[in-house]
Amino acid sequence: MKRRQFFKTAGGAALLTSSGLGSLLMDLYAFSGQENLSQVEARYYKKHPDREIECELCPRFCRLGDKERGYCGVRENIGGTYYTLVYGKACSANIDPIEKKPLFHYLPGSSALSIATAGCNVNCKFCQNWEISQVRPEQVTHYDFPPQAVVQSAQKNNCPVIAYTYTEPIIFYEYMYDTSIEAHKKGIHNVVITGGYINPEPLVELTKVVQAIKVDLKAFSQDFYASYVRGKLEPVLEAIKIISKSKVWMEIVYLVIPTLNDSPQEIRGVSQWLRKEVGPDVPLHFSRFHPMYLVKNLPSTPVSTLERAHKIAKEEGLNYVYIGNVPGHRAESTYCPKCGKVVIERKGYLIESIELAENRCKNCSTPIPGIWS
Amino acid sequence: MASSQVVIVRGKGVLTQDENIDQKKLLRMYSRGFQLILDSLNPKESLRRLFKADDRVGIKINTIGGKRISTRPEVSQSLANFLVDSGIPDRGIVIWDRTNRELREAGYRLNMNRSALKVLGTDTNGIGYNFDLVSHLNIGSRFSRIQTDTITTSISLAILKDHGMAGITAGMKNYFGAIHNPNKYHDSNCDPFVAELFETSPIKEKHRLSILDCLVVQYHRGPAYHTRWAKKYEALVFSLDPVAADFVGWQVIEQLRAQDGLPSLKEENREPKYLQTAVKMGLGKASSGEIKIIEEEI
Repeated sequence: MKRRQFFKTAGGAALLTSSGLGSLLMDLYAFSGQENLSQVEARYYKKHPDREIECELCPRFCRLGDKERGYCGVRENIGGTYYTLVYGKACSANIDPIEKKPLFHYLPGSSALSIATAGCNVNCKFCQNWEISQVRPEQVTHYDFPPQAVVQSAQKNNCPVIAYTYTEPIIFYEYMYDTSIEAHKKGIHNVVITGGYINPEPLVELTKVVQAIKVDLKAFSQDFYASYVRGKLEPVLEAIKIISKSKVWMEIVYLVIPTLNDSPQEIRGVSQWLRKEVGPDVPLHFSRFHPMYLVKNLPSTPVSTLERAHKIAKEEGLNYVYIGNVPGHRAESTYCPKCGKVVIERKGYLIESIELAENRCKNCSTPIPGIWS
Repeated sequence: MASSQVVIVRGKGVLTQDENIDQKKLLRMYSRGFQLILDSLNPKESLRRLFKADDRVGIKINTIGGKRISTRPEVSQSLANFLVDSGIPDRGIVIWDRTNRELREAGYRLNMNRSALKVLGTDTNGIGYNFDLVSHLNIGSRFSRIQTDTITTSISLAILKDHGMAGITAGMKNYFGAIHNPNKYHDSNCDPFVAELFETSPIKEKHRLSILDCLVVQYHRGPAYHTRWAKKYEALVFSLDPVAADFVGWQVIEQLRAQDGLPSLKEENREPKYLQTAVKMGLGKASSGEIKIIEEEI
C-alpha cells in the first residue's frame, strides 16, 4: 500500500524524531510499502535457465527462482532479472562524527553524512540496528535520496565524508558505488562500515571508489560465525586481506561478547592473524557489547575483559589498539608506539587534542599511519 | 503418538478445460475430505471440535506465485463457505497472506469490512507486524498481527509446490508468510527453520488443520510457475498432523517427478529435511509406516 507524507509539518518532524531518523530526511517525501521501491538491475549475478538467477555479490550465492528475494531481503528476481529494490531508498540519514563509525585514523573530527537502506546479508543475533537491518525495505519508512541528492546534502551540511553504514552497505552496493563516484567528483570522501561479507570481485571494484573501510570482524571462530552471525568467517578474512592490499584505509572492530568470543586464546588468535596478514599498524578496536536483539541473556562486557583484550593485542605487536563504547577510557586515545605520548586525545566522540605534525608524533617524529587531512 | 491420518480427495474434472473450477465438485471434495479426516458423517457439525463458534479463524494461503500457482481464490472461498455452514460467522474468518499486492495478483478481491469475511494482507494499513520479537531456538521474528492478534485458530491452506531450497513448500512452510523476515530462514534447506517456526507459540497454539491445494502441482523448478512442470493433479490433501500432511505432499511431488523422469529431491540433495526435524520435535509423523493415508476419488 502506498503512503505519501510530507514531513515538513511539525507532526511529521515529531514522527521522524520518535522513529530515530535523522533530520536530513525531514524535507523528503516518506514512503512505506512496496510500490515505491526501486527496480534497478543489480550487479554481480548470473542468469540461469528457467528464470533462475544466482547472486554473486556475497558468499551466500543465493540461487533464486522468479519472484524470490535473496537472504538480504532487498534484491529480487523479477522474471529472471535480478533487481535491487533499495537504490536511492535511504531509511536512515544522519550527520555523525567519524569517530562514531569508529574510524580513528581517518580525518579525525570530521563530520560524516551517514546513510543506510534496509537489509543485511547476515543475521547477527546481537545486532544493534536490527530494526532496520533485519527487515525488508517495505517494512520501514524510506525516502527518495538518490546519489546526487546525497552528495548535495553532504556539501550543504559541510560534511567532507559520506559514510555507508548502520545496516550492511554491501546489500546496497549499487547505490553506494554510484554515490561514491558522484561524491569523489566533488572532493568528498567515502567510507564504508561493513561486516566484510562480500565476494572478492565486487570488493576489489569497491576499493577503487571508496577511501576507507571499517570491517566488523565479529569473532575469530567459524562456530561463532555459524551460530551467531549466520555466515562464514573465511570470506571475511579474505576480504580483510584484499582491502589491506588496496589503497583503502582500513580499521577493524571486534565486538567483545562475554563468553562467546572473549577468550584470551581467541583474542590472541585474531591479534596474531592481523599482525601477520595486515601488519602492526592496522587499528583494532575492542568494542563493548550491550544486550541487544536476540542476545539479551548476557551482561554488558566488563571493562576488565576489554582491557585484557587490549593488553593481549598489544603483546602481539599491534600498535594501535582501542577500547570502544566505554566513554572516557584512556584507550580511546591514540598513543605514539615509540615514545608513548598521546598523539590524539579523545573523550567519547570528541577530539580533545591532536599532537601530530605532518602525520608524525610531535614529540618524537615517529610517523603515525592514517589519513589525517 | 498414535498413527497420523492424511486424506487425499481426488476430484477428476474439478478443473475445467478452460482452467476454471467446478465449484460444486470442489465443495464435494471438501465435504468428503472433512468427513474422512474427522471420521464423521456430519463433518459440519464435527468441525466444531476444531473450531468454536466464537473463534476467529485464519485461513493462511500462499499467493507468492501469482495467479498461476497460488492457493486459488475459489479454493479458499469454498473452505470459508464450509466453515460458515458449520456455524462460524463469516465475520470471524480471515483469508490472508503477506501482502495485498500478492493477493491481488493471485486473483483475490480484498475485503477489509469488519462485519464480513475478510481478505487482506499483513501490509494492510493498521495491521503490520508486531513490534515485539518472538525468539525461539533459531527463530527471531516479528509476527503478523493477523496471526497474533486477529485470529484465534488457524488453517494452513497452502498450494503444494517444489521448492529450490526447502525441497517442497506446503503447509508448514506456508507460515513463513506470517513473519517479517522469511528470507533469513532459507539456509540449509530451510532446516531447522520450518519446524522451529511452526513450534513458536503464535503458530503451534493456533494451528488446527493443514489442507494442501493440489489442484495443480508445481513439481519441479518451484516455487515459481513453469508450465512445463506444472501438473493438473486435482486433489485436496487434509490432515490434522501438519508434518504428515507435508510428508504426503512430498510423496506426491516425488511421484510426479518420477513420472516425468526427473531425479528425486533426495538425489538433488534437497529433500525436505525439515520433516525429520519436525518429527524429532514431536510435531508429527513423517514416515509411511506411521501415517494412514486414505485416498478417495469422487
